[in-house]
Amino acid sequence: MGKPHTAYEKKQMTLNRHNTLVGLSFILPNFIGFALFILIPVIFSFVLSVCEWDGFTAMKFVGFKNFARIFQDRVFKASLQHTVIFTIFSVIFTMAIALSLAMMLNRKMKGVNFFRSAVFFPYVASVVAVGAVWNAMFLKDGGPVNTMLQAIGIANPPGWFASTKWALPGVIIVSIWKNMGYFMIIYLAALQDIPTTLYEAAVIDGANGWQKFKKITFPMLTPSHFFVFMMLTINSFKIFDLILVLTDGGPGIATKVLANYIYDKAFVSWNYGYSSAASMILFLIIGTITIIQFRVEKKFNDFM
Amino acid sequence: MKKTAAILLIALTVLSFSFAQGAKEAAPATSGTTEPVTISFSTWDFAMDPGLVKLVDRFQAEHPNIKIDRIEIDSTSYTQKLSIMLNGGSDVDVIMIKDADTTKSLSDKGQLADLSGFVKKDNIDLSAYNGLTKNFTMPDGKLVGMPFRSDWYIMYYNKDIFDKAGVAYPKNNWTWKDFEETAKKLTSGSGQTKTYGAHIHTWQACVQNWGVQDGKHTIMDKEYGFFKPYYEMVLRMQNTDKTIMDYATLKTGNIHYSSPFLKGQVAMMPMGTWFMKTIIGKKKAGESTINWGIATLPHAEDVPAGYTVGSATPVAINAASKKKDAAWEFVKYLTSAEGTEYYAESAAIPGRNNDKVLANIAKADGMPSGAAEALKVKNISFDRPCVDHVGDINQMLGEEHSLIMLGELSVDKGIKEMGDRAKEILGK
Repeated sequence: MGKPHTAYEKKQMTLNRHNTLVGLSFILPNFIGFALFILIPVIFSFVLSVCEWDGFTAMKFVGFKNFARIFQDRVFKASLQHTVIFTIFSVIFTMAIALSLAMMLNRKMKGVNFFRSAVFFPYVASVVAVGAVWNAMFLKDGGPVNTMLQAIGIANPPGWFASTKWALPGVIIVSIWKNMGYFMIIYLAALQDIPTTLYEAAVIDGANGWQKFKKITFPMLTPSHFFVFMMLTINSFKIFDLILVLTDGGPGIATKVLANYIYDKAFVSWNYGYSSAASMILFLIIGTITIIQFRVEKKFNDFM
Repeated sequence: MKKTAAILLIALTVLSFSFAQGAKEAAPATSGTTEPVTISFSTWDFAMDPGLVKLVDRFQAEHPNIKIDRIEIDSTSYTQKLSIMLNGGSDVDVIMIKDADTTKSLSDKGQLADLSGFVKKDNIDLSAYNGLTKNFTMPDGKLVGMPFRSDWYIMYYNKDIFDKAGVAYPKNNWTWKDFEETAKKLTSGSGQTKTYGAHIHTWQACVQNWGVQDGKHTIMDKEYGFFKPYYEMVLRMQNTDKTIMDYATLKTGNIHYSSPFLKGQVAMMPMGTWFMKTIIGKKKAGESTINWGIATLPHAEDVPAGYTVGSATPVAINAASKKKDAAWEFVKYLTSAEGTEYYAESAAIPGRNNDKVLANIAKADGMPSGAAEALKVKNISFDRPCVDHVGDINQMLGEEHSLIMLGELSVDKGIKEMGDRAKEILGK
């Protein structure tokens, strides 16, 4: 856009500037909140990660010492491992189950609204209540889950939250149960957007149920897949409250995840610099995955 | 537009660096104690400590110019919230410290005032505190906390269960072996109505404390072989004799220690003296009908009777407080001979205690007979010393504790891992 020469061009520019200013003033309140509570603290976190600070005395610049120490900490390595395992299984199973439920409940049958609400309810339930209830469900001796498992013939049911092997699977199960409703709704809406003419054409061509799913339903849901995958991945990497109420990272450190580790280092050890370094690592991991996903999605959309 | 955004971001980052550098300067101004002044006092579970309620009222009655503004913080997050309040320069003058082992960290951050000047000025005799002030004296000689309350572990028992089984009550010179054997005689029944000989709560303290009872070791030793006999004892009681409820059920069910005891399901329980006032309160409210007694904590074969494990709750003054003189008057009152006498009337044990005070506590309303003898102790070892990294070590010990109790690690392997991890934490 070159310098304005004519009176007409000058007027256009003032009008543009006016519009821009009006637009900016509309988003200013939200931006101020964003800047104060998110942008500035995040930047401060960057700064903290290369410093040592106990929250009160002066901050000391220590370069990359925090990061060097983190990678030697066995608890950090374990937390990272648990977070990755939790994310992989949570994401895959929640997506699969949410999609299956959406397909099953995408019909005009009696009571379909009741079932949809029942599946969605865990998502809005309080995390603390969920924690207390599932702890009772997963009680090793006499809990409902193990009693049922024994009734169908499994002699030695898992120890769940009392066992280092089964605690993480237990947490994954609760996480899937809690989230499937929300993503089912998303898939449900997308399913209803698929034109029925496609299915009719497929039936004429002699396609069976599985082929209809593979060639029509699944591909047509791609935008939803991307959204669901991204939301699930980000939320799973950040998981904290569910772990806290279910196992508090236990038994031992079997279910400790990155967010627990960051919290411990900040509020139990009062080592804010070290804790910020850990959150930087978490930020980088999530950021990288998200960027990769955006690139893939863009390529896919261009291709489509 | 992108360029401006980038420049703005960099500017903000640089600004954050300089913004955070300054350390807080404490304003040393103090006010005289004759003009009206209001001091703020942070506590947890205030309503559950009727003795403290009385002390606050009495102090204000005797010092009409000093008003106390209470700040109540929820107990489960008290330590974290207090730390954040002090970080933020919050206006709190007198601080009750919940986890005594955090005292050193608070002092290192410069958030606690040095009380030695006040102590000298008012001629306070620190020997009245049975050596408890040593734990709150920092390596550089600063005294940062006065011991307000003292607690140690004793043995609680249910007289009715003992009577029914025809077993004699626990003696004050029992060994842990006596405890283990007697528990077997008191266990009966099964399922929901089972009576357990004993109750070991899920805290690692309820096993590890007996290892530090002789005062020869602390949880900061980098080698934990002294825990071994106690883990073996508790695992025998849990897995073989089945005289205690199992750790897994207690932990996942989040069962509070007061519940099985007050409901009459367990015959004996080693627990801290703070539980006494809870029992008395619950009985007065009609929520429990337990016929209870206390005895001195059992000891190992090679340890004298009367050795126990405990801690002290310190009360401190905020280093940034502008009303230190008035704050000191309150702290002095809380830990004075007069104040502690009143406090003891509610069956809480003040940091300043002696045989006379203990005898008075034993006579308090609701206390069982024989309490005076049971409360006599010769030596109290600290469960968590006031040194660096004690919080990290304690958390690590808790994690390893649950692995051993759940049978995920053998006792030997668990103890070895404790040692390895302790060396990692302390070796830095």
